[in-house]
Amino acid sequence: MDKLKRREFLATAAAAASLPCLIPSGVLAAGGRAGANEKLTFGHVGICCMGSGHLHDIKGRADRGQVNLAAICDADDRHLENASKIAGPKADVYRDYRYLLERKDIDAVIMATPDHWHGVGMVHAAESGKHVYVEKPACCTIEEGRAMIAAAAKNKVSVQIGSQGRSTGDAYAAATYLQNGMIGKVSKVTCWHYGNPEGGTDPDGPPPPELDWDLWLGPMRWRPYNRCYCPGSFRWFLESGGGQIRDRGAHVMSCALYLMNADRQPPATIEAKGRAPTRGLWDCPVDMEVVYTFKDPDWTLVWSQPGHPPPKGDTGHNQYGAVYHGDKDTLTLYGGDGGTWTEKKARQFKVPAGGVEPYRSPGHKEDWFQGIKTGKKTIMNIEAGVAVANLTIMGNLSYILGRKLTWDAARGRFAGDEQANRMIGRPQRHPYHL
Amino acid sequence: MHSNLWKQASAALAAGAVASAARAADAAAVDELIAKIKSQDEKVRARAWLGAGQVGAAAVEPLAETMTDANREVALAAKRALAQIVHDAGRPGAEEQKKAVIAELPLLLGDRRPVAVRREVLWLISEIGGDESVDAVAALLTNAELREDARCALQRIPGDKSLAALRAGLGSLPADFRPAVAESLRARGVPVSGYPDQKLVPTKPTGVKPVGR
Repeated sequence: MDKLKRREFLATAAAAASLPCLIPSGVLAAGGRAGANEKLTFGHVGICCMGSGHLHDIKGRADRGQVNLAAICDADDRHLENASKIAGPKADVYRDYRYLLERKDIDAVIMATPDHWHGVGMVHAAESGKHVYVEKPACCTIEEGRAMIAAAAKNKVSVQIGSQGRSTGDAYAAATYLQNGMIGKVSKVTCWHYGNPEGGTDPDGPPPPELDWDLWLGPMRWRPYNRCYCPGSFRWFLESGGGQIRDRGAHVMSCALYLMNADRQPPATIEAKGRAPTRGLWDCPVDMEVVYTFKDPDWTLVWSQPGHPPPKGDTGHNQYGAVYHGDKDTLTLYGGDGGTWTEKKARQFKVPAGGVEPYRSPGHKEDWFQGIKTGKKTIMNIEAGVAVANLTIMGNLSYILGRKLTWDAARGRFAGDEQANRMIGRPQRHPYHL
Repeated sequence: MHSNLWKQASAALAAGAVASAARAADAAAVDELIAKIKSQDEKVRARAWLGAGQVGAAAVEPLAETMTDANREVALAAKRALAQIVHDAGRPGAEEQKKAVIAELPLLLGDRRPVAVRREVLWLISEIGGDESVDAVAALLTNAELREDARCALQRIPGDKSLAALRAGLGSLPADFRPAVAESLRARGVPVSGYPDQKLVPTKPTGVKPVGR
């Protein structure tokens, strides 16, 4: 396992003085931000659900002497108390993440908050000079994504979005197989995923005393507490989680952009239809289909709930994934998140001499650590994370507005649709803003 | 001459009859929509709110009333129907429908409506409203419960009038709210001094102590 020793970091930084093209100046500046001891020091913001998994991971690395774990933070004291047992007595505890961001000894932050906090939290962390691993989806609005890209660039921090499917061996194998033309020219990618749940029928009420509801809501408009929002069920609100398309879509379609080498290719048109829930606060469509068209090269991406799951094949999995349709053959990538599997023909494929070799991630966290150390782009860098989040945001927006949208990439606006353009961003509650 | 006058009068009468018939049709459509929104059958309610865009501006006020229904599912269906009308009216090429809906929405911001209804309306106005909505929205900058939503709506409504309302607010609103207004102005590209950005200032300590320390 890669040890992030401070002396290695400084040695790399010193070497970079003669290799300015390889090591961005921001990484050199980052040397001044590292902890007082020799290892990089981490703080965790959002420690329930996925955040708990990240905390276990970093705690394990800390126990092995590879990193320091300095602090944990959550808007719910119950989560803090539980997580403190994992983090141990050395880790400070905070309700307000801004105390954590103030600390000069913390180099990097892992953010696993509810989705409506990803954009604001990442921007604030970057502005505080922290490298950031932020859970997917990267953002809830197109405007947030733009601010995240700008903040990462301006503050020269390394960002990894938590769409870890790209870092799996099977995604690499599938990308290699596809990019070497083994299924021919790919004109269509069809994703399938089970639908969103209906529900959210509990009445509003007072928040539990341990929960800071104002902080939990953060940038979102005020509303009364309802247990149907949290901790994890924010997922089923279009305004926050955005449903399966923004949750798993940020995995499955992340892999699609990776395999299609299309991180920098925005969609030309977006057209969604869906079956709305008939009761409860949760407003994500139960079933949904979004068709994205891309130009130059031309291809179509379809997000479909439930879609048409293919047979499990030898992988034993078919809950969600995507089928890549080439003019010679098809290839299926099952899953797309931490569990990603592809077909045997791709797994066994060897790159011919002169063939295409996509970047191979050493592991999602390790790739981020390399990004911190060397300044290289991570496999799910902020631009890539925003690109896939934008797909999901645009899909939901087309569903909400009930019409096809045309994206004018050159102007960064929807063509001829003022209402859609206003919804590129969403004003945020003070002081929880970009 | 006489003949022309007769023709004009006939045309006016015919137009009046058409308008009257249209109003009657509108009223019937609104009644039907509200009846279905109040249905005990969730599928009927859902079909109704999904189709509310076709009923349009005439349903705005009755839906706002229905948003206070004691049955939360009915209130929710009314809220979604209102949003559907705004989304439909905002589509490209629907200028007349949009104008009609925009004319109705600010009328729902009066004190007699519950805060939750007015909050929803403010955000809907922010999607399609223009200069004509600004005064009604800006009036809520002095409402303790709704001022944040009003500020956000003004931030989103384009044009000089919304900007002027925010500028005016910066000089007149309570001191504790001015940093938020300053932030809206900055978001609109207006440099503001005297109100430092507070976004990175921590304010919420926890009583939890690290386990084992």
